Amino acid sequence: MDKIHSHRQVAAIKHSLFDQGYLDEQFIQLEELQDDANPNFVEEIVTLYYRDSSRLISNLDHTLERNPLDFNKLDTLMHQFKGSSSSIGAKRVKAECTLFREYCRARNGEGCRRSFQQMKKEYATLRKKLETYFQLARQAGPLETAYRPK
Amino acid sequence: MELGNNQQQQQQQHIHVLVVDDSVIDRKLLERLLRDSSCKAATFLDSGDKALKYLGLLDDELDNASSTSSESLQQNGMKVNMIMTDYCMPGMSGYDLLKRIKGSSWKDVPVVIMSSENEPSRISMCLEGGAEEFLLKPLQASDLKKLQPCFLKCFDNSGEEDTSRNPAKEKQQNQNVNEELWKT
Repeated sequence: MDKIHSHRQVAAIKHSLFDQGYLDEQFIQLEELQDDANPNFVEEIVTLYYRDSSRLISNLDHTLERNPLDFNKLDTLMHQFKGSSSSIGAKRVKAECTLFREYCRARNGEGCRRSFQQMKKEYATLRKKLETYFQLARQAGPLETAYRPK
Repeated sequence: MELGNNQQQQQQQHIHVLVVDDSVIDRKLLERLLRDSSCKAATFLDSGDKALKYLGLLDDELDNASSTSSESLQQNGMKVNMIMTDYCMPGMSGYDLLKRIKGSSWKDVPVVIMSSENEPSRISMCLEGGAEEFLLKPLQASDLKKLQPCFLKCFDNSGEEDTSRNPAKEKQQNQNVNEELWKT
């Protein structure tokens, strides 16, 4: 009974992650790549994403402190961040990256800074939710059926 | 999974793909996707310059006596059956890499370009530049299925290549004939 409850909890968290637009179809693609030969694939690639993101965020922070702003460099960094966010299905983070790049192209420094703060918030929220999700999923044990959001 | 014949099975096991992408996440994703494909061996590099060096195409290795020129690499049996490269990379772009490869002794190796930007002009430029296929990121299992004709092309013998053939038509023909290879 406990196991069923745990699985329901995990499913509920996943449901809300998709419902609230934190994750998109790409995340499901990753889950479908998880199998006996790669049993922790999703968590591994997401962990890699955290590490890579920390580096990029730190880089972006420093680059935003410069005066005048190097919009080309900012755009390049955000392009990388957008790419990796897209590859793991981080929908909201990806949207903020797109917005940031628009501000870069418009040479709007204030817009960039605002958008960057928002992006960091989205990233932090997603990270926290995913950490909870993976922790619960591990506790619940292997899932027999894949969940597909509507 | 039923494969056509023994020989084809053996050949599939020997396909070696060179992947060039500066994103560690995309390299990991591609590594996992390739595992399910006909390609059983892959090398992952994070820049065009490293790819050129790997292929023995760096300009500063003009000293042929001691060099690992591309001809000597190929003669020594180093195989690269296909190259998959990201378009947008710091330093050399995937398109630049494509042009360098097509202008070298590796020119017959199919090159696939990957990009997160769905820009028609970029896509046609790459295809006209000799790219075999253009894949849109984020990559999914279905994208690797699109490469099936490329993998089949790897079996094309080192004999004459008919440069006047129609790649799009061939792809369709190959897909029809070899649908089974992808069924598990």
